[in-house]
Amino acid sequence: MIGLLLLYGGVALLGPALSRRLGARVLFLCLVPHIATLAYLVSAWPRVAGGRSIAESHEWVPALSLGVDLRLDAFGLLMAGIISGIGVAVFFYARWYFAGRSDLGLFAGVITVFAGSMVGVVMADNLLLLYVFWELTSVTSYLLIGIDHQKGAARAAALKALLITGMGGLVMLGGFVLVGRAAGTFSLSGILATPPSGATTTVGIGLVLVGAFTKSAQVPFHSWLPGAMAAPTPVSAYLHSATMVKAGVYLIARLAPVFATVVWFWRPVVLAAGVATMLVGGYRALRETDLKLLLAYGTVSQLGLMVVLVGAGYPDLTFAGAALILAHSLFKAVLFMVVGIVDHAAHTRDLRRLHGLGRRMPLVFAVSVVAVASMVGLPAALGFLAKEAAYEALLHSGNPVVTAAVVVGSALTFAYGARFLWGAFADKPVRKEDDVALEVAAPSPAIVLPSVVLSILTLVLGVAPALGGKLVTSAATAVGRTTELPKLVLWHGFTPALGLSGLAIAVGVALFLRRGSVDRLQSRLALPAGLTTPYEHALSLLNRVADRSTGVMQNGSLPIYVGVILLTVVLLPTWRLATDGRLPSRIEFADSPVQALVALVVVAAAIGCARARRRFVAVLLLGAVGFAVAVLFIMQGAPDLALTQLLVETLALVIFVLVLRHLPEQFPRRSSRLATGLRLGVAGGVGVFVTAFAIIAAGSRTHPSAGDGLVERALPDGGGRNVVNVILTDFRAFDTVGEITVLTVAALGIIGLLLARADGGEGEEPGK
Amino acid sequence: MIVVLALAVGGLYAAGAFLLLQRSLTRIILGIALLGHGANLLLLLAGGASGRAPIVDGSDQAVSDPLPQALALTAIVITFGLTAFLLALAYRSWLLRHDDEVEDDVEDRRIARLGRGKS
Amino acid sequence: MKLSRSLILDMSAGPVFHVALLFSAFLLFRGHNAPGGGFIGGLVAGAALVLRYVAGGADEVHRTVRVAPELMLGLGLALAVLTGVAPWLVGDQFLESAKLSVDLPLLGTVKTTTALPFDIGVYFVVVGLVLAVLRTIGGEE
Repeated sequence: MIGLLLLYGGVALLGPALSRRLGARVLFLCLVPHIATLAYLVSAWPRVAGGRSIAESHEWVPALSLGVDLRLDAFGLLMAGIISGIGVAVFFYARWYFAGRSDLGLFAGVITVFAGSMVGVVMADNLLLLYVFWELTSVTSYLLIGIDHQKGAARAAALKALLITGMGGLVMLGGFVLVGRAAGTFSLSGILATPPSGATTTVGIGLVLVGAFTKSAQVPFHSWLPGAMAAPTPVSAYLHSATMVKAGVYLIARLAPVFATVVWFWRPVVLAAGVATMLVGGYRALRETDLKLLLAYGTVSQLGLMVVLVGAGYPDLTFAGAALILAHSLFKAVLFMVVGIVDHAAHTRDLRRLHGLGRRMPLVFAVSVVAVASMVGLPAALGFLAKEAAYEALLHSGNPVVTAAVVVGSALTFAYGARFLWGAFADKPVRKEDDVALEVAAPSPAIVLPSVVLSILTLVLGVAPALGGKLVTSAATAVGRTTELPKLVLWHGFTPALGLSGLAIAVGVALFLRRGSVDRLQSRLALPAGLTTPYEHALSLLNRVADRSTGVMQNGSLPIYVGVILLTVVLLPTWRLATDGRLPSRIEFADSPVQALVALVVVAAAIGCARARRRFVAVLLLGAVGFAVAVLFIMQGAPDLALTQLLVETLALVIFVLVLRHLPEQFPRRSSRLATGLRLGVAGGVGVFVTAFAIIAAGSRTHPSAGDGLVERALPDGGGRNVVNVILTDFRAFDTVGEITVLTVAALGIIGLLLARADGGEGEEPGK
Repeated sequence: MIVVLALAVGGLYAAGAFLLLQRSLTRIILGIALLGHGANLLLLLAGGASGRAPIVDGSDQAVSDPLPQALALTAIVITFGLTAFLLALAYRSWLLRHDDEVEDDVEDRRIARLGRGKS
Repeated sequence: MKLSRSLILDMSAGPVFHVALLFSAFLLFRGHNAPGGGFIGGLVAGAALVLRYVAGGADEVHRTVRVAPELMLGLGLALAVLTGVAPWLVGDQFLESAKLSVDLPLLGTVKTTTALPFDIGVYFVVVGLVLAVLRTIGGEE
C-alpha cells in the first residue's frame, strides 16, 4: 500500500519535469498511479471481501506515536476505487479539456499529490496520519482552485476554501488528540474496537465532527464549495464532487456505528446538519442560472443526504449511504464533465443563453440524461437502487421527520435535475434581448468518451444489482461490523419505499413545471447565504487587527524596540530576584582602596562616554573604561584576561579612530527632553537591576565551580600549567573553534562591506 | 562578594543601555562595547573571590576560578570582532548616505498608518 | 584627515615591528604554561601591524605582509579544525589532545601538546582579522 502512495508522490515530482515536453499529454503519465491502484484493489478484493482487512505499518515518528499505519477494508476499497477510477476518467477528460496547453506541470503535479493524499486518507489507520493526508488534500485543493492565479476571484475562492477547511482541519486535529488521549491509542481500528467514553471523548468527537462538516460542505460551512467552482472543470469534477468532499462523509461513516451511541449529541447534530444541508443545497440549486453553480449546490445537497444516511450509524442506512456514494461519484462526475464540454462548445454556462444544444450534440445529451436519471433516482440507473435502499432503511429504522425531509430533498433533486437538462439542452423560447449562444462547436469524441464510459457503468450497475451489490455490502459490513444487511434489489414490488420515490418524483415534476412561480418565490425569500457574511466580516476584522497590532508592535523605531527589550529584561526577572533571591553570606565593600578607586574610574568614564557630545572624547573615554577594567582583571587574579583586554582595547581604539576620522566631530543633537528622560529611566533601571542581580547571583551558588576540577586536571590531562589556556585550547576547545569561526566571518564581512565600495559598485565617493 | 565590582558592572550596563537607546549608530556601537565590558566583569564576578592567577606551579595558595576567565577571554575577543564589524557597517552607511542616524523603517511606518487609518 | 608621519616613528617602526613579532611568537608558544597563547600572541602581532600602519599607512602594511587577509583567516581556521579532526584518525574524539615529546638537535627535548597547532590556528585568525581591518577601513587615503 505504501508503494502506491510513493508512486503517486514520484509521479507528482516527475510530471512537472516532463510537462514542457509532453504538453497536455503529461496527464497520461498521471494515469499510471491510478491504474496501479485499481490493479492493486482488484488483487486485494478477495482478501477484504466480507468485512476483513489488510494492514501494514511503517515507523515514522515513534516518539509522537505517528506511524504510517495503513489498513484496507472493503469500505476503504470502495473509496479508493472511486478515487482512482473516477481519477482515470477525469484525467483522461482533462487531457482533452486542456488540449494545446503546455503549462500543465503544476496542475499535473498538484492533482496527483491530491489523488495520492486522498488514497492516503481512506487507507490511514492512524488518526495523526489521517490528519496529515487530510490537510494535504486541503492544501492541494487550495492550489487547484487558485490554479488560474491571475484571476482575483479564483484566489479569493481558493483562500476561502483553505481557511474554512483548514480551520476545520485544525479543530479536527484537536479532536483527534483528545480522542487519542482518551483511548490511549491513535489507531483508528483500535479506537473503534474499544471505544473510549467520557467528557474528553465527547468534546473530542464534537471537534472531529466540525472538521468533517467543513470538509464535506455541511451547513453552516458549505459556502466554500460553490466558490470552489472557480477552479477548472476537471478539478470540480474530481475534487469537489467525487472525492475530496466525500472525505468528511467517509470519516463520519467510519465513526458513526460506534460513536452514535457513545456520544449523546451525535445523532441530533449529524442528522440536523445533514438535513439542513440537503434542503439548503437543493433549494439554492433551483435558483442558480450558472450550470456549474447549479451542480455545486446539487453536490451540497447530495452530501447532506449522504451524511444523513451514514451518520445515523444503523447498518441498513450505512449500506444505502455506501450505495449512494458510489452512484453519486459516477453521475456527478459525468455532469461536471458535460458542463465543461458545453462551456467549451458554447463559451457560456448560463442556462439563459443556451439554446437547442440537445439537437446539436445528441451523445452529450444522452449521457446527461442517464446521469440525471441516476441522480433523481429513476429505475434502471444505479441511483434508483441507492434511493430505494435509503427509503427502505429509513422506513425501517429512521425517524419520520428525517424520512419526510429526505422525500422533500429528493423532490428538490428531481426539480433541479430537470432544470439542468432543460437549461443546458432544451429548445427554449428566446427573448429578443437575450444574446443566445448560437455558435456551437462540436465536441471531439475523445472528450466525451470518459462520460460515456461512466454512464454505461451507471446503467450496468443499475440493471445488474448483483455486480455492485457485493462491493457495497462488503463496505457496509466493514463499517458496521454486522452481516445482517439488505441487498441491492432492482424491483422490490409495490412497497412503501417505491411509494415515497413516486411521491418525490411527482412533487419534483410539479416543481419543475411551475418553475416560474418557484423563481418568483425564490427571489422573494432569499435564504441567508450560509457563512458568507460572517466569513467576510471575520476576514476583514482579522486584517484590521493584524494591521493595527503590527502598527503598534512593529513601529519601525529601533530605540523603541531596544527599549521594550531592555524593560522586559529588567521587569520580568525582578520579582523572582525579590522573592527567591538570597544575599551572599560574605559581603565586602572592596578588596582594597585601589580597587574601589579603579571601579570608580570605570563608572565615571562610562558615564562620561555616555554623556560625551564629541565623538573622539567618547571613544577615548571608552578606551579609559577598557584599561580600567583590565586593571580590575589583574586585581582579580586573571593575567591572561588583563593582557587580552589591554591589547584588544588598543586595537579597538585604533579602529574607532580609523572610522571616526571620516565622521563629523560632534554627535547630532536632536533628542527631546522627554526622550532623554525616558532613556535615562530605562538605563537606570537596567543598572539597578544588573547590580542587584550580580550581588544576588553570587549568593545563589549551590555547587562548587567546575573550574576547581579543571585546575586539578590541567597538568595531567591537558599538559599545560596555564589553566585558562588549557581550557581554551583543550577542555573547551570546541567553543574556541566556534569563536574563531565568528572572527573569520566578521573579518570577511568587513572585507565584503568595504571592498564592494572600492569596486565602484553602488557606493559613492566619500565626502571631501 | 565585592560591592564595588557589582556597582561597576551596574554602571557599565546603565551607560551601555543609555547609549544603545540612541539613534546615532556610533553611539550604539559605543553602547555595545560598554555592555561588553560589563558582561565580562559580571562573568568574572560570578566566579567568586579573587585569588592567585590560575597557573599550576605547585604552591597551595588558592587560585581564582579559571573557567569564567576562559569564558570572558572568549567574550572579549568576540566583542572585538563584533565592534570591528559594526564599525565597518557604520563606515559604509556613512559612505552611502552621509548619515550616522538609524532612521525609522519606512515600511513599518506605512503599516502603522494603515492600522490607524482603518479604525 | 591624514596622519602626519614623524621621522622617529618611521625609523623605529621597522625594528620595533620585528621585535614585537618575535615577542608575539614567544607569547604564543609559552601560552600553555604561562600567561599568553594564541589570542594574546595574535593581538600583539596585530598591534605590531598597527604600528607599521601608523608609520607608513596601508601601503606599508601591504609591503610587510603580502598574504591576503582572507587567506590567513582560512589557513588559521583550517589549521585549528584539522587539529580537531586529526584525533579521529587514531580513533580518539574530536579535539582530544595528545602530548608530544620531540628531540630537536639544538634545543634538546621539547615537550608540548597538540593544543599548540590549535593555538597557532587561533593566532592566525586574530592576525587575519586585524589585517582585514587595516586593509579596508584603513585603506582610505
